[in-house]
Amino acid sequence: MSKFESVEQVLEKLSKEHYIADKNIATVVFLADKLEKPVLIEGPAGVGKTELAKVVANATGRRLIRLQCYEGLDEAKALYEWEYSKQLLYTQILKEKFTEKMAGSRSLRDAAEKVGEEDSVFFSHHFIVARPLLNAITAEEPQLLLIDEVDKSDPEFEAFLLEVLSDFQVTVPELGTIQAKQIPLVFLTSNNAREMSDALKRRCLHLYIDYPSQELETRILETKVPSAGVHMIQDVVSMMHRLRQLDLKKTPSISETLDWARALLALNATELDENLVNQTFNVILKYEGDVRKAQAELDKLLQKKAGEAAAKAPGAAATANPAATKKGALH
Amino acid sequence: MEKKILEFANILRKSGIRVSTAETIDSFVALEELSLEDREIFKDALRTTMVKRGEEIATYDHLFDLFWSGFYDNLRESFGQATGGMSEMGIDIEDLLRAIAQMLQTGGAESGDLSELARALLTTDLSQLENLIRMAAEQAGTQRIENFLQVGFFSRRTLEQMGVEGAADQLRQLADRLEQAGMSPEQIQALRNLIDRLLEAVRRSVRAYTERELQKQNHDYMEKFRRETLLEKSFYHLTEDEIRKMREVVERLAQRIKNVLSIRRRRLKRGKLDLHQTLRRNMSHGGIPFELIFKQRKKDRPKLVILTDVSSSVANVSRFMLQFVYTLQEAFTKIRSFVFVAELGEVTPLFQEKDISDAIEAALEGGDTINVYTRSNFGYAFHHFWQNFLSAIDNKTTVLILGDARNNYNDPRAWCLRDIHNKAKNVVWLNPENPSAWGFGDSVMDKYLPYCDVAEECRNLRQLSKIVDSLLL
Repeated sequence: MSKFESVEQVLEKLSKEHYIADKNIATVVFLADKLEKPVLIEGPAGVGKTELAKVVANATGRRLIRLQCYEGLDEAKALYEWEYSKQLLYTQILKEKFTEKMAGSRSLRDAAEKVGEEDSVFFSHHFIVARPLLNAITAEEPQLLLIDEVDKSDPEFEAFLLEVLSDFQVTVPELGTIQAKQIPLVFLTSNNAREMSDALKRRCLHLYIDYPSQELETRILETKVPSAGVHMIQDVVSMMHRLRQLDLKKTPSISETLDWARALLALNATELDENLVNQTFNVILKYEGDVRKAQAELDKLLQKKAGEAAAKAPGAAATANPAATKKGALH
Repeated sequence: MEKKILEFANILRKSGIRVSTAETIDSFVALEELSLEDREIFKDALRTTMVKRGEEIATYDHLFDLFWSGFYDNLRESFGQATGGMSEMGIDIEDLLRAIAQMLQTGGAESGDLSELARALLTTDLSQLENLIRMAAEQAGTQRIENFLQVGFFSRRTLEQMGVEGAADQLRQLADRLEQAGMSPEQIQALRNLIDRLLEAVRRSVRAYTERELQKQNHDYMEKFRRETLLEKSFYHLTEDEIRKMREVVERLAQRIKNVLSIRRRRLKRGKLDLHQTLRRNMSHGGIPFELIFKQRKKDRPKLVILTDVSSSVANVSRFMLQFVYTLQEAFTKIRSFVFVAELGEVTPLFQEKDISDAIEAALEGGDTINVYTRSNFGYAFHHFWQNFLSAIDNKTTVLILGDARNNYNDPRAWCLRDIHNKAKNVVWLNPENPSAWGFGDSVMDKYLPYCDVAEECRNLRQLSKIVDSLLL
């Protein structure tokens, strides 16, 4: 495991993992690695926030530890828990030993004192169940801790995260403070279901991943679904960008674009036509109302396309291709 | 550099972006790790450390461009014009400068004391000039500029701070001395011409700098101002554009209440020790109560019945109240909404079918159930409600009425409201009119007042949010 050397190197390594990022993303990842600061990733659903964490873990050779947040997540599930039943079991088994030890004691107070001396046996690493956060901190190897959908967690949990994120240490009352053996890379993702506190934000680098530009999305499709063909990819991307302009309940994002392209590929489609789009709309749009809105737009879109095709008719194939390759060459 | 970043952080703060000291320090550390040649990376690095909200990115981008670029280009342009004009006249400035340097070294002419500014001008050292202008502007207090009328004043002060007049004298004296030392008349003429042009260029640059500073300081000032006053602004005087903006504000406000609510709820939730649950949960520990279970207090989410006047006089208030309530709908068990002018009709289904903004617009149109183009008649509407929907009200229901109670001299039929009041948990009346006007003219607010648990003036967003907030707990 080595640190990134430059922003360019980040870009390169990410694209090796089939993650097409823009410079902004690469800069933040680079800084997170260098400054050993957590990153708070925000943006609409499905733009590849969680994916980024996974890919960075791969690219840096770190093990990914994932903590999925939900309402009601507490320390016991995120950090550590004492294994009560094991402790009880051990007490039962060790009963003889206790009697032996307490044999000489004359009073109750004396006996309690003696048991007290053995306190640390029962509150040791032996009886602790480590949860993701503790794992990430105590591991010998460098880790990448992904705290997914942190906005779904409760405000109390967020406050408790602060200690972990700023000092990379956790406090277990019975054991004391545990310092990280190595500093894990931490990625937090949020869909902005609620706004995170300023205290948390202050400790993190901030990355906002928006819907990709047309070029970037084209490149993403070219890497992820290369067999779709340049023509198809262009069509899909421009359609998606149009759809995002509409006032939809759930705007489709990259993950939907990829699903769609794969679906079209599975249907052996080579070109978008009305029938095909109508049949596959449910891949990209998740609400009935959205589908209806999009259908209206589709008519407009296809009409325009038909017009263009007619205008271009003489050298359609010849003109379409250079335009497509030029876009690719831009990067 | 660090000073400049601090200054930038200050400007971000002024535009309403929260940047803490720790974050500024982060940005210093981040920049140490990066090569600053790539402007894009520089921009991203500053953003990721300083700006932590998605909505603020657009503002940041704008301010970044304003702050970090442009002025040097500006400077180059105006000095380019100055020197370019010279070469058009067939004078090579390089040659001229070389000749001057030669005269000073060998020709016996004394250079005299040239100030930094004079030297920078003569050699058109732009980065030095930029520095000098910045420093002088700072001393002149240009960062305190507030409006356009001050541009002239601060430009003048900056020029004074730079000592432009002094530099001009020095340069002219230099020309005189060079003349005495025997420089050719053409060259002297060219030099004097150059000096005038350079001085003109520096004056223009300072003015440009001051104007940019004004823009920087003022950016978002108006925006912020507008947003704040939107909270205070009376619903009666809203333009189309403001209504659109207002929607965002309402959304944000509702979101904030939602956040606070979840915290409040949790605090309330923990009740008494639940003995049954505790014993059952701790069976595995041999009945020793390691884990305590508490009874949860029942959430008492209010039921809401809304009666809104949608006549044109209060349509805007109704609009925002509906938006507010429906954005917060998960905080209520059930919301039923009715609209009236004279007739009364239920519009609850609209909100189930359409998304909020469409539903509101449809409701304001009467939702196909009532005629909105009549004169308000509160008595008739209440009577209608009393006849048909009184069963919708039980002792957990809050009735929220919105209207100005301007009854056009019709019968107020306050007894309907009395019956509603008797059945409901409470009756809240929001009136966009000032309390001092209640009961005057055709207002029958005084007749209704005895049957309202709460009657508040609700003329702007701040009042509205306060009322909705208090409804929830």
